Amino acid sequence: MPMIITYSDMLCQDSSKDLDLFSYKSRLKFGNHLYFEKDYLRASYEFREYLKYEDNDTIRFRFANCFYNIGRYIEAADNFKSTFYNSTIQDESRLAYFKSLFFSGDFNLFRNSSRNEIYLPEKYLTEVNRLYFTSFLMDNSVLPDTGNFISAFPDSNKNDIRNFYIQKKFPQYKSPTTAALLSSVIPGLGKIYVGNITDGLTSFLVTGVLTFLAIDNFKHKHSFRGWLFTGLGAFFYAGNIYGSAAAATIFNAGVKFNFDNDVKSYFEKRNYFLPENNL
Amino acid sequence: MMKKFLCKLIFYFLVSLVSVQAQNEFSSQFDYANTLFKTGNYFDAITEYKRLIFFDSTKTYYYRPYFQIGICYKAGAKFDEAIKYFSISELNSSDDLERFDSKIEIVRCNILRGTTSRAHQLLNEMELKYTGNNSKDSINYWRGWAYMFEDDWTSAAASFAKINPNHELKLICDRVEKEKVSVTFATVISYILPGAGQIYTGNFLSGLLSLGWNVLSAYLTINAFNADRIFDGIAILTLIWQRFYRGNIQNAEEFAKSKNIDIANSALINLQKQFRGAKP
Amino acid sequence: MIKSIIFCLLLVSTLSYAQTDWVKWDAVEVSYKISNASSKIIITQKQSPDSGIISFLRNTYAFFISDLDGDNCPFYPSCSHFFVQAISESGMIKGPLMFADRFMRDLNFFKSKNNYPIHRIGKFHDPVSNYTLNEQVIEITPIGSIGD
Repeated sequence: MPMIITYSDMLCQDSSKDLDLFSYKSRLKFGNHLYFEKDYLRASYEFREYLKYEDNDTIRFRFANCFYNIGRYIEAADNFKSTFYNSTIQDESRLAYFKSLFFSGDFNLFRNSSRNEIYLPEKYLTEVNRLYFTSFLMDNSVLPDTGNFISAFPDSNKNDIRNFYIQKKFPQYKSPTTAALLSSVIPGLGKIYVGNITDGLTSFLVTGVLTFLAIDNFKHKHSFRGWLFTGLGAFFYAGNIYGSAAAATIFNAGVKFNFDNDVKSYFEKRNYFLPENNL
Repeated sequence: MMKKFLCKLIFYFLVSLVSVQAQNEFSSQFDYANTLFKTGNYFDAITEYKRLIFFDSTKTYYYRPYFQIGICYKAGAKFDEAIKYFSISELNSSDDLERFDSKIEIVRCNILRGTTSRAHQLLNEMELKYTGNNSKDSINYWRGWAYMFEDDWTSAAASFAKINPNHELKLICDRVEKEKVSVTFATVISYILPGAGQIYTGNFLSGLLSLGWNVLSAYLTINAFNADRIFDGIAILTLIWQRFYRGNIQNAEEFAKSKNIDIANSALINLQKQFRGAKP
Repeated sequence: MIKSIIFCLLLVSTLSYAQTDWVKWDAVEVSYKISNASSKIIITQKQSPDSGIISFLRNTYAFFISDLDGDNCPFYPSCSHFFVQAISESGMIKGPLMFADRFMRDLNFFKSKNNYPIHRIGKFHDPVSNYTLNEQVIEITPIGSIGD
């Protein structure tokens, strides 16, 4: 008999707790459920309410991580700070803080913070250091020294990183000025230099035919037609010089676009050399 | 023996008391979610339906909240999610009526999403399964809507006629079909008389200008050939006449198609705004 | 058994859609209108605000010629639109040069989808902004894919 009473008592207590769907414990349960379902915005609402009643480092971390996963990186970075001290997960929080700053795209802020060294996580110094060097491949800042740069990455990836470094430092651009100068010497040559061979040949033919027509008409004393074709010839000659410079600019933009894409997909594929987050 | 029985009785009584209390809590949670839903607060309503589903271990509130989540997503035009939740509600349904409702909602989402072929596929499957008169009417009704969204007003009229030969929507479909112009006719008359197709579709100025260009370039071409200026004749023929003749036919076809789409769209917008019956 | 497997599969697949809810959303009214995407001639080409002589010339050309002579240009925007847009955006010196270059590229018999991305209306996507010599405004779309 006493055993039964205890059991039903327990049931009552448990259910009375459960019955209040909005008690802080219920919020925690439901929040965790949403968090693992990747329903991060809703989970953050539940965690916010829960944290008003009880302090819990893991939940603080998850609360910040909700913003990180949603892509609200600056809010995430601010919230990760709440578990920077006297916490068992302080290194994880600090790493997550640097990750947030890195993915916010404000690489200057990220680099300044990592140079300050106040919040650096002892356990994850290598990871933050790698992110630091990776950030130089992603914006237009002056690249640091090769040695430090490449040695920050694992041995198996050093070759790829070296290639990226060289491509970033010495991009395979085509000079718009050279293209324009070449086209001014021989119409279309600038486009051939950029790689648009058939466009170059067309420019050469168009300006050539117009020049021929101008000369031919002058020879036959058709001065109006002669001047007309001269004008047209000059117009297309100038257009071809301009177009060659434009083609080189487009080529360069393409090189930059492809490089940025390659870097992004390379690092994304390797999760930026970061450990999995199990919290 | 008696003591044991009494103990059991008290235990069951307490358990049922708890479960009744829980039921009340769940029903008030369901009401709360419904209030949010009714005030158009769909995002928050989904949160509350999800909360109910999460805590309702008795599974009493399973079909309805899932169904409601589907409706919320549909209201936010998030049809992929809506369809997922209607499918889950269908799996949690307890009778044929609930299953039918979920399926119809999936069909409606497909119509709105523009994936009408999927809507037709689902309706065909449903037709084999549900043979009652009401179900048949409902299936034909939504089939009609799917056809309207496909711009196939003849088939839509036929579907609505199966429900009732004088169905309001059938009459609307007939009217739209009658209003539409024939794309083939517009193109063919433009081959015969340039500009005629444009005039037929109501673009008088464009038609007259087309006719003007064609007459002028034909005159210049024939004139050049007559005067033995063969090169000029060929140049005018290929560079001017052919260009405007082809342009006139292209225009006639495009104008006719565009006019038909305008007619269909004005009918659809009218239905969206004025029609009182069930809409996707 | 099968039911529960389907249920689990559906639940898992809802996870991939959870990101729809990462931003709070409101109700949206979906228009019943059918899109007119198939129409190539009537599609409105990007036009920049301009005034005076350019606008007059463009409107006259459109009214008397380009609206009537069919769909001839393989590019989007078409050569005439490119001309007008280039002049209004880059001025009377740079604009005509950009047009001269475009005209010669149009004359190239060997242009193909290997040189230009394809716009959704099925033409070569070749926007004016790519030819201003400013690398920042160049719109790179992988060759062979669909433009905006």
